[in-house]
Order: sequence, then C-alpha cells, then structure tokens
Amino acid sequence: MTADTPLISLEGISKAFGAVRANQDISLAFRAGRIKSLLGENGAGKSTLMSILAGRLQPDQGHILVDGQHQVFRSTQDAIGAGIGMVYQHFMLVEAMTVTENIFLGYPGPLVIDPSRMENQVAELAAQVSLNIDPRARVADLSMGEKQRVEILKLLFRQNRILIFDEPTAVLTPQESEQLFEALRQLAAQGKAIVFISHKLDEVMALSDEIAVLHKGAVVADMDADQIHSKAELAQLMVGREVILQVERDHLEARQRVLNIAGLGDDALKDIDLELRQGEILGLVGVAGNGQKPLVETICGLKRPGRGTVRLMGQDWGSFFQRRRWDGNLAYIPEDRQGLATCRNLSLTDNLLLTTRRGFTVGPWLRHRQAEAKMEELAAQFNINPPNPSLAARQLSGGNLQKMVIAREFFRRPRLIVAEQPTQGLDIAATEEVWRLLLKARDRAGILLVTGDLAEALALSDRLAVMFDGRIVDTFAAEDSEKIGRIGLMMAGSSP
Amino acid sequence: MLSIHAYKRQEPLQWSSGLILLGAVALSLGASALLLKLHGKPALGGISILFSGAFGSLWAIEDCLIKAIPIFLCSLGVAIAFRLQIWNIGAEGQFALGAIGATWAALSFPEMAWYGLLPLMAVAAFLLGGLWGLIPALLKLHMRANEIIVTLMMNYIAILLLDYLVYGRWKDPLSFGFPMTPEFSPAAIVGKIGTTNLNWGLVVCLVTALMIWVFFRYTRLGFEFQAAGENVRASRYAGLPYRRLVCLAMLLSGAFAGWAGFLEASATINRLQPSIMVGYGYTAIVVAWLARLNPLTIGLASFLLAALRVGVENLQLDLQVPAAFGGIMEGMILLTVLAGGFFMEYGLRLRRSP
Repeated sequence: MTADTPLISLEGISKAFGAVRANQDISLAFRAGRIKSLLGENGAGKSTLMSILAGRLQPDQGHILVDGQHQVFRSTQDAIGAGIGMVYQHFMLVEAMTVTENIFLGYPGPLVIDPSRMENQVAELAAQVSLNIDPRARVADLSMGEKQRVEILKLLFRQNRILIFDEPTAVLTPQESEQLFEALRQLAAQGKAIVFISHKLDEVMALSDEIAVLHKGAVVADMDADQIHSKAELAQLMVGREVILQVERDHLEARQRVLNIAGLGDDALKDIDLELRQGEILGLVGVAGNGQKPLVETICGLKRPGRGTVRLMGQDWGSFFQRRRWDGNLAYIPEDRQGLATCRNLSLTDNLLLTTRRGFTVGPWLRHRQAEAKMEELAAQFNINPPNPSLAARQLSGGNLQKMVIAREFFRRPRLIVAEQPTQGLDIAATEEVWRLLLKARDRAGILLVTGDLAEALALSDRLAVMFDGRIVDTFAAEDSEKIGRIGLMMAGSSP
Repeated sequence: MLSIHAYKRQEPLQWSSGLILLGAVALSLGASALLLKLHGKPALGGISILFSGAFGSLWAIEDCLIKAIPIFLCSLGVAIAFRLQIWNIGAEGQFALGAIGATWAALSFPEMAWYGLLPLMAVAAFLLGGLWGLIPALLKLHMRANEIIVTLMMNYIAILLLDYLVYGRWKDPLSFGFPMTPEFSPAAIVGKIGTTNLNWGLVVCLVTALMIWVFFRYTRLGFEFQAAGENVRASRYAGLPYRRLVCLAMLLSGAFAGWAGFLEASATINRLQPSIMVGYGYTAIVVAWLARLNPLTIGLASFLLAALRVGVENLQLDLQVPAAFGGIMEGMILLTVLAGGFFMEYGLRLRRSP
C-alpha cells in the first residue's frame, strides 16, 4: 500500500431495484485527508450508494477495495470493521442517556465500568478534535448541532477512518453549520477521509477538496474542487440536460385561469407571483429545498398562506378549501406517494376512495362494489400491474403505485394539477407513460410540474419558472432558448 | 453455530394468526398454572377448576354472559378510538359517568313509566359518558395533551365523583350508613329475557356491535375513520376532517362505555354503589386488542374474559387463591398476545452464523 492508495475505492458498482437502475457502474475513490462531496438530486442514487458502503445493501456488480484489497461487505458489521462510519440525518442516539453513555454504548469493554474515567476519555477525545461538548450532559438537552457532535465522537471513538455525512446541515443553524465545517476540515487534516453528501451547492463549493456529481444513478462528474469554476456549472451537471425521451407536444391555446398567486410570502417564500391557465404546463425547476415544498403545500391546502393572495379556480384560498368539491377541481400528485398519497395497508379500492369517496357516496353509504369496479377499469386503462383492486398499496412497485395515484387523480377530472417529481424512481417505460398522461391531461387542466429533472421540465413544459431561495427568479416561455441556457445560473442564484 | 434471525413477513398471515393467538393464551395459562404450583396449589387441578367454574353449568355460563355485557360495550367503545390510533384507556371513568347519568335519571323521575324512563336513562348515560370522553379529545387537539395520561387520570376523578354522590347527596337514608343509593324503581330496571337470568342488555350489545360493524364496513364516515387511523398525513392530504373525527371517536367511545355503566347499574345492581367499579373498563382494553378491534370478534373475546373472571371467582372459593390472581392472569394474557403480535409481522429463521 502506497501513501496514495485510497482508503476505500468503489469499482464499477451497479445496483438495480426491479427495472430501476439506482446505481450504474459507479467508480469513486476516497482518500485520507480529503473531503469529498457527493452531489445529486433526490433519487439520483446517493442513498443507495451509501447503503452499499455501509454494508446494508449488496451491489449487483462491482467491487469495494479497502486499502487496495478486495473486500465484500456482507453486513453492516463488515463495513464498520473496515473503518467506515456514518452520521445519518436522523441521529441514532438514546435521548435519556448522557453523552458519555451514548458514546460507550455497544462498545466492548470490561464488565465493571468507571463513569468518571469514561467521561475523562470522552473529554480528551473531544478536545483533540476541538468539538466542544459536556460529557455529562443528557442528550435530550442538547441542540441538534451538539447531538451531531456526539455522533461524530462516537465514530472517532471507534477509530473510524472514513466518515460519511448524509445531508448533515439539514438540521443545523448557519452558525452550527460553520462549526461543523471547521470540525470536518480538522478531521481531514488528521488523516480521516470525509464524505459529504448534499444538494446544497454553496456548502459543497466552500468545503470540498473533491466533488463527484451523481445524476440518475451514474457519476457524471468526479473532479477536484478547484477545477470547478462556478455554482452554475455544478447545478447544470446535477439536473442534467440530455433528453433521453421525446414526447410529441403540440401547442394548445391557454384558456381559463385556474391558479393565481400574487405577493405570496412567509418564512420560507418571498413575494411569489404565479399564474397558470388551463391548457398549459408550467415547469417549476430549481435545486430541491429552495421553497418548492412550501409553495406546493400552500397551493394544495396543506399549509395556510402567509402574506399575499392565492386564488384557485377564481376562488379565494380559504373558501376554496372549505368547500372543496371532489371532482372538476384540484388534484395533487405528491412526491411522497407511499407516505402522503396512499395508505400502505389499505387496498387499492380503499386508496381510490381516499380522494374520490364523495363520488361513491349515497346518503351515508359508501358504494364499495362500484368503487371496486371503477378501480378495475382504471387499472386496465392505466396499465397498473397487478390489476387486482384488493391488493394492499404496499404490494405495488413504486412505478405502479405512481400510476395508481395518477389514475385516481385524473379520474377526478381536475382543472388544476400539481405534479411533484412525478417520475422520480420510475424506469424509462413508466416515465414515458407518465409523461404522455400528463400531456393528455393538459387538454382540460392547467398543470404545475415541480421537478428536479431539467430534461423532464424541458420535454413537457409550455412555460418554465426557476426557483431559488424562496423566490421565483424568472418565468419564461419554453421556446426562449437564450433564457433556457441560463437556467443553471438562475438556479444557483444569479439574476436572470 | 446456529443462530436465530427474525425476518419481516412480506405477506400478512392468514389463518395461522389464529394459531398464534391460541398459542399466546395457552402460554399465559401455562404460566398461571406454574404460579399456582409456586403457591403450593395443584397446578392442573387449578386450571380445571377455572374451566369448570366458568363453563361447568348453565348457571355459570349465564353468569359469564352477564359479566360479558359491560366488557363488550366498553370494548366496542375503546376499539372505535383505537381505530383512529387514539389511545383511550379511560373506559373505566366513562363507565362510571354513564352509571351516574343513568342513576340521576332513575332517581329524579321515579314515577315515570319504563318506556319513558329507560330511554331517558340511556340518553343521560350516553351524554355523560360521551362528554367524559370528549374532554380528553379537546385537550389533545387544542393543547396537545397526551390522551393516555388524561384519560387515565380522569378515571380517578370519575370514581371519586361517584363516591362523593353515593356517600353524600344520593345516599339512601335507609341504608344503615352503607354508601349506596336507594334501589331503582321497577320501571328503571332493565328486565330479564324470558325465564333466564340474562337481561335485555345482551341484545343491546349485539345490536350495537352489528351497527358498528356495518358503520365501519359500509358507510363513508366509517371509511374515513379507518383511513385517518391508518395514516394521519394521508388523511390531511385527502381532506379528511381529522379533528372532527377524533372528537366523534372519543364521544362515541365514551358513550358506549357509559351505556355499559347504565346497564350495570340498572340491570345487575339495581342501584348505584362503589362496588359497581370492578375494572371492566380496563379489561375492555385487553379485549379490544385480543379481538384486533373487530366489533364481532370483540363479542367472543368479551365472553372469554368474562369467563376468566367467573372462573377465577370459583378458584378463589375452592383453592383460597387471592383475588388479585384474576388480574394477574388478565395481564399475562395481554402480554403474551402483544408479544405474539411480533410473530404476525416477523418470522423466525435458523441461520448458520460464520
């Protein structure tokens, strides 16, 4: 082993779930003393890759090399043995125990323990890496930043050489993030290899020695940070430009206005103006976490608007959601199809009834048999497999569940559709089907397409809006090639 | 080295889930037999006395059915709240309030005819019990108070309130100082069915269970209950009136426990006295879990747990075991059944470890 041998390297790692290729031929190297960022949108394959590194998943193809030697991780234990430690977004700490107890938890030691010696050991370790923490404090009393420090100390105490951080700043205040970065730099200087997973461009640019970008399961870039000149370049790589699929899209005359937002603002949104008409698709693009989620939640009635006005089908937000009719109205196809759009233990028929129950009601009675017949009809029409209405939602694959949600929402004959990452995690065939369905629905509805995939937005949209930092940077027609060329810049925050 | 690994079942169990339940009950009976042995009593003999005490004679079976009535109604109520994942363990207090409401009507209108008085008592019990259930729901929705703690604490308040009434305002002047109300007028007593010892409350139970079953299976509101209990986020997404559902669930939950209190005071004791509180409201929780919240299965489970009570009474007489033995057995059945729930979700597999 030479000084230059990576601590861990991945060679040609591939992993598929059914028809979805989550990781395709990924080769990466992690070296001592370097901070490497893994950048990618949700669904780009970051978490699959990390699960493989942590020994929780086994790759279909490819090898992992530890110190230049082939090694197979059969379990998380093997990965820990190789010195790989992870700090997850959701901390794995026992709230009722002290910092010291958490760090020693599960660590093999003598039968009789000496609390004060343990505390001194923890204090010493914390001082070495200047992570300020009181070893006697109860974890429940700590801030998120402090809890994260406990997680880091846990890994250091176990002599881990490779520290993987999954979106570590998502739960931190700006100052805490700054402190974390300082600690990460110091750890790297002490010879650890740091892996930093994020989709926040600023942080990645500020912190990294090397940057790898994942897009649709493949590494599209892997380079030293000083080779990258601008955030826009990274943003461009992250969302991709290549159009794999082509769908026919002819121009429709935009008609009645179905959504009108003026001056909408709250703690996450800044002065949003947006308009949507029947017969058009408005693609809302941007790096995730720039306000798309609160905007969608407001439009779909899950979150009360702060300042400004939101009007749906010409009605005020309040009265619209008070009255809400089940059909001819608003349909929402959320990103989280398992947790939000469906109940996993209920049958497909019951899941159909979830948003359409008013259409199958006679007096107090619900007409299950009729709903079941409708579900069978929809399953055939939308190619849902297996087409059995009494199956539970959890028994369907991601793509089929998505088609089920779309079938249900289209059956409501909506005039306004909000579709959020509608093809995330779907294979090519399913993606194409969903695209065709959306284009067809455009005949009678206005569609707000929220997506992190620029290719998708370009293929489907009549107009595009770019979001950054809670505001809409610009809105323009899909034919405006000059503006389209500048989307990457706008997503990184520069003005149009 | 062989070691045991648990794996998550992909398909839910069908008929073998019944076997798991039977196994759990058998295990708790076995543990009870062991406990008897440790006590110096005959183990197998004790269990057989338990069974013959509960099922050995027509009179015993009637007694089981009579005791099953309040458990059945309380458990139906509890199950409604549990469906929404609202943990109402206050059936005991709601039962007490129902008994108080019914007693108020019986004592206030002693001259009224039965066809007026009994419905009035039922309505009073329904309202007071329901209100006692609604309070924790409102506290949960408006102040985020944990309903487990609130419903539990309100049990003690309800029992003290009942004591206050029977020791004070409603005390029978002719009771020689015993804490009890005067006996109800004949019009306030739910009668017996034909020549049996069973009262018409049993029919009330069965009709109520059937109605609840129909409600969950065939009505839109019943569907909304089920969906909201399954996934709170999805219920918000689908525009279900979650807050209203929680209030309604707790109202109904308390009201059915209130009916149990009404029937117990009217049909069984014919007056209100502190000994009406024997823990049916807690047994109802065990029953609801045993029956996996299915209203029809709850009927069967109530009968079995009532039989356990009757059997243990017999055991108490024959073998001089302490009264707490029944509570211990009930607790063990719940524990083994809950532990058995693990095997519904997971299977075990032997694996050779490296």
